[in-house]
Amino acid sequence: MSTASEMNSQVKIQVTDLHKSFGSNNVLQGIDLEIREGEVLCVIGPSGSGKSTLLRCLNKLEDITSGTVVVDGFDVTDPKVDINEVRRHVGMVFQHFNLFPHMSVAENIMLAPVELKKMNRTEARAKALELLERVGLKEKADARPASLSGGQKQRVAIARALAMSPGIMLFDEATSALDPEMVGEVLQVIKELADSGMTMVLVTHEMGFAREVADRVVFMADGVVCEQGKPEDLFGNPQQARTQDFLSKVL
Amino acid sequence: MALVVGAPASMAQGADSVEGQTYVIGTDTTFAPFEFRQNGELTGIDMDILHAIAEDEGFQVEVRSLGFSAALAALSANQVDGVIAGMSITDERKQIYDFSEPYFESGVQMAVAKDDEAIKGYEDLKGKTVVAKTGSEGETYAKSIAEQYGFTVKSLDQSATMYESVKAGSAVAVFDDYPVLAYGIAQGNGLKTVTDKVPGGSYGFAVNKGENTALLAAFNDGLAELKANGEYQKILDKYLADPTASTPGNFFDLAVKSFPALMTGLGNTLGVTAISFAIAMALGLIFGFFKISGNIVLRGIATTFVNIFRGTPLLLWAFMFYFGLPQLTGWDISVWTAGILTLSLNAGAYVAEIVRGGIQSVDPGQLEAARSLGLGYGKSMQKVVIPQAFKMMTPSLINQLIISLKDSSLLLAIGFAELLYQGQQIYAANFRVTETLLIVGVIYFVAIMALTKLANYADKRFNK
Ligand SMILES: Nc1ncnc2c1ncn2[C@@H]1O[C@H](COP(=O)(O)OP(=O)(O)OP(=O)(O)O)[C@@H](O)[C@H]1O
Ligand SMILES: [Mg+2]
Repeated sequence: MSTASEMNSQVKIQVTDLHKSFGSNNVLQGIDLEIREGEVLCVIGPSGSGKSTLLRCLNKLEDITSGTVVVDGFDVTDPKVDINEVRRHVGMVFQHFNLFPHMSVAENIMLAPVELKKMNRTEARAKALELLERVGLKEKADARPASLSGGQKQRVAIARALAMSPGIMLFDEATSALDPEMVGEVLQVIKELADSGMTMVLVTHEMGFAREVADRVVFMADGVVCEQGKPEDLFGNPQQARTQDFLSKVL
Repeated sequence: MALVVGAPASMAQGADSVEGQTYVIGTDTTFAPFEFRQNGELTGIDMDILHAIAEDEGFQVEVRSLGFSAALAALSANQVDGVIAGMSITDERKQIYDFSEPYFESGVQMAVAKDDEAIKGYEDLKGKTVVAKTGSEGETYAKSIAEQYGFTVKSLDQSATMYESVKAGSAVAVFDDYPVLAYGIAQGNGLKTVTDKVPGGSYGFAVNKGENTALLAAFNDGLAELKANGEYQKILDKYLADPTASTPGNFFDLAVKSFPALMTGLGNTLGVTAISFAIAMALGLIFGFFKISGNIVLRGIATTFVNIFRGTPLLLWAFMFYFGLPQLTGWDISVWTAGILTLSLNAGAYVAEIVRGGIQSVDPGQLEAARSLGLGYGKSMQKVVIPQAFKMMTPSLINQLIISLKDSSLLLAIGFAELLYQGQQIYAANFRVTETLLIVGVIYFVAIMALTKLANYADKRFNK
């Protein structure tokens, strides 16, 4: 199934037999997944199937019950691994933006580079302005997040996630909290990022978008990967009954 | 003073000569004419006799005006070497204390309001309520005849309050020690006597039983000397024969005269509140974080701390730290230390709850976003969560600061010289209770308004 280019590129994320439970609720029940450099992976599936949980295990926002997750060569389940170091290589964008309301737009973006002593304030601001330009919001640098529209907030959040120049980006339903007319502007930014060769994992309900940007689509159900493949195969010719059922409801 | 201030001499050394020694003596706060403040200075019959004897016998005294019960508690706790507080010598007290020779022959007298024409003797008290001072001869006497004449005795703690309740009509008469009453009436306290003085007990200077024998002997020796050379009678005359000398004038004069003492009190109030609140903030932050920690032991510690100090009265801790702790540990605890411990632990418990609530009110997504950027827990808290939590906490913190400032007035019970205590000192000497309290109230009000304005300004400035 793999193309030649995928074979050549290096593995960025390796998930092996990942289990995650909340108390007696076994949310992830043995996930195996490999994501290669430059790959855009879309995760789809019914609500409650564990998509967000999987994504949050990748940067250890959730404690992992068993199995391994290796990101950029670091095993995040190993207590000796500095998880903060790993997270600097993994940007994350949340459904509800989670911008810091007490800071200006530029300060939101500058926080990590400055606090982690990667840049001084001048360099960090220059970088922030560059990122804001990339998401089309340079003029909002000194605005407060509260004064922005939903679409603008999410674009700032993307710029913030890019501030540490991560090699991997995670998106958890980045457009679901937006008014329909703002979805496009955010998808546009994500698409540009995908085109730039960023390794990305996107949890999304936007099937059209998944089909357009994904190199590979993973369909999850009940805590396992039910089916995966190239978008044209998975959407055009799903093999599993559960996948067919799900797609018939959302397409 | 050569010795460390605050360390009772009996604990510092056990020599039997009093020459050159410094003794810490406890006394009442409010027992004119025996002890009261005039222009900030503690004065009165007890004070004059004590100082005259000390001079005569060549020792030094450090007087602590604590209040009657507090002075006795301090004596038991060995925080003071002796007590002189217009205290009657009784058999009961002789079991715990050694008394000097009597230095004053007292008695009990009844007084009624000046305009009261109904009460002319004990017979007219039938069915009425009278007041007497807790633990005093007056109380004993009133109770001994209460049944015979059919009246009820209500016990109060201070002469000034007793006189006020007679004037206000909540009691028809007061039974008080003759010298106090005579002095008060001469000061214009609005009362008059209608019955004769009942000769009663005598006042003595007390030390703990079997301790400080040298001091007691020196006191007796000096007293005999004062009586012989006429100094003793001069002291009595000064207070009992011409007691009107210090009567203040109108309200404005009272305000002006009491202002320096009240400002000292305000300074102490603000000082103890500021120090305590700073400590309370530190405690509150620590225990607030413990409360939200994942560690069950830390959570347990924090919950215990908060429950203990929220679930018990402030005053209890003031007594505990000032009287109890020295007895348990042998440490010398100053009234400042006790006051700061009390206020800071109490406020710390409330601040811990405020901190916990503030942090929990911040969207958990904020911490996740910061952590996902690679910031550690501490940095994320410091840069992202706490600034937002602090903004929400500020009104509650300002509120707690003001509560602590007002609560600091309770420290008067252990003799901490804060604002209300200074007010008490003033009305105990001049019997102008209402006016003095009015002035004290205005000072509290102005101080709290200013503090609120300042805090709100700072809030707007830093939490925009
Ligand atoms: N912190 C948590 N504590 C307990 N249970 C949780 C927690 N987070 C998620 N779950 C449970 O895990 C299951 C999967 O949740 P998850 O959010 O991963 O689903 P999802 O596929 O992202 O769904 P959606 O499409 O609705 O976002 C759900 O049953 C949810 O209740
Ligand atoms: Mg989800």
